[in-house]
Parts: sequence; C-alpha cells; structure tokens
Amino acid sequence: MADMNRKIQELLSDYAGALRDGSLPVFLKSLTRQEGKRLTCSDEFWEAAEVVRVLNGVGFADKAVTADVGLFASRVDANIASRLKKSKSSPRRRTTGSKSMTKTRKAEKPI
Amino acid sequence: MGRSLAGRRKSASEPLRLRKDGSNRGAMNRRLRNALKGLNAPDVDRRRRAMEPFVRETFGMFIRYLYRYLGNEVECEDVLEDVYGDIWENPDRLRDIESQRQLLRTVYLYYMRKRLREVYRRMNRHLYLAQKDLTNLTAPELGLLDTMSQSELKEALGKALGRLKARERRSIELWLDGMSVRAIANELKTTVGAVKMLKFRTILKLKKMMSEYCHDQ
Repeated sequence: MADMNRKIQELLSDYAGALRDGSLPVFLKSLTRQEGKRLTCSDEFWEAAEVVRVLNGVGFADKAVTADVGLFASRVDANIASRLKKSKSSPRRRTTGSKSMTKTRKAEKPI
Repeated sequence: MGRSLAGRRKSASEPLRLRKDGSNRGAMNRRLRNALKGLNAPDVDRRRRAMEPFVRETFGMFIRYLYRYLGNEVECEDVLEDVYGDIWENPDRLRDIESQRQLLRTVYLYYMRKRLREVYRRMNRHLYLAQKDLTNLTAPELGLLDTMSQSELKEALGKALGRLKARERRSIELWLDGMSVRAIANELKTTVGAVKMLKFRTILKLKKMMSEYCHDQ
C-alpha cells in the first residue's frame, strides 16, 4: 500500500518523478488531505519545486519527441479556421449544442 | 497609435543589453520580427498567414518552456495549439516585443498560464489540494529562474552543480539520467529515504546558488 503520510522531501521526490515521467495528475490524485495541508505550509517545498521544474526543462525538454513543426503549423491553422467558423456562424441559443427531446419533437413537422 | 509610438520611444531610450562578447543575448532574428509584425496586422487573413512563420520560429522555444510545467509532449502540443489560437485571436500583448526573452515572458504570462490552469482545473474537485496550491504547482507566477532562457539556465546549472559536494552532484546527475530513487540509492549504497532527503537538500542548495547567479548577472 502506498504511503499516505509522506514527508515534504518525499512529496518533492514524488512530484519531481511525476513531472519527469509526465504523470503529474497521478501525483496530484495521490495527495491526501494532510499532505495537501503540509504542502500549503511548506515554503521549502515551493522553492524546491521551482528548481525541479527548471531541472525538468534543462534535463529532459531537449529529449522530448515532438511533432514536425510543419504538421503542427497546419494543426494551428485548422484551429484558427475552426475559430473563424465559430465566430462567423450565428450565435447559438444553447451552449451544450443539444436540444431537448420535447423541443425537437415540437419543431418536427407532421408527415 | 499612441501606444505603439510610446512603445517605440521607450525602446529607443533603452540601451540594448550586450553580453561580454558584444552580442545581444535573446535578440530576435529578422524572420521572427517580421512574423510578429504580421501578427499585429488588423486584417484577419493577414494575421492568419503570419501564424505559420511565427509557429516555425517559436515552436521549439515554446514547447521546451511548456515541458517544464507538464513533462508530457502530447499535453504540451495540445496546450500550445490553443495558445497559438489565442495569440491569433488577440495579439495585442505582442505589440512592442523587443527580445525573445520578453516574448517568452509575455506569452507565458498572458497566454500559456491561462491554458495551463485549464489543464488541471477540472481535476480539482477530486483533489485534497487548495485551488491556489494547484495553480502554483501547475501554472506558477514567474520566478527569477523562470525568466532565464534555456541556455542561460544550462550555464547556471552547470556552474551550480560544479560547486556541490560529489555525493550531492552525483544524486542529481543520476536523477537527470532518468534513474529511479531506488536505483540511485543502490548506486550510492544508501537507503531510499536518505536519497530523498539528500535530493531535497541539494535542490534547495541549487536554488540558492542559482538565485545568486541570477543576481550577479
């Protein structure tokens, strides 16, 4: 069973590991109420966390396998096109995009 | 109009920061400068056309920066896609950018941070972590170290590592090689708990040394 009452140095070590492995949500979910409070009160943790992020950037960012920049640029262009389309289309009444069944039925013409 | 003129006056009065070798660290190349000009065009289509050279010039820099906070390539790309979309939609903040460092700082503060917060916002309902702490962990305020470029950080870190004790340096180097805490403990012939403590103390030491380096610079 995982340790439920980690000390600050253990929390930092786990945070650093999660950041390195790209699994930050797992670390966040693993925190207990007491550990959360401990983090809030510890200045040392926040100071060390800043360095951990720097180490993550310096040590691992260059090794990250990212998409080809040309492909990514076309992804961005598609995103922009979709935003343009949204802004050009008339404002919708519902944000969820789904009509309720009763209203749909009312709008349907009888055959 | 007045804003841009004021910006020009400000930049003209400010001396360029030169390195010891005489070059201007973080200065923008011509392509990036032209792309930024295009981004501020009033015409939507021209702005859209300017996005491609802007993405080409900044993708590497931005994704490495985001990687610090997320540690995951897929998430970095998703966030960055939205960041570029936001920049296209509202590029006002990038009007008077003079250097790459200023660009990175502005993009982080006004575009990236908002998107980084959104990545984990939904999770917060199920966490025992205060909203403020979650924000500080995933999209923090810019600290002294955050404003440094990748090359400057490497330089500062190299110098700081050189000043550490051999055992402290070894623990950080092994961790940067991708080893687990248990593997580091085996390598240093000690316990897992001792390695965690050693790493914590060493990181605090590094923070102090790097902050001193920043002030000296």
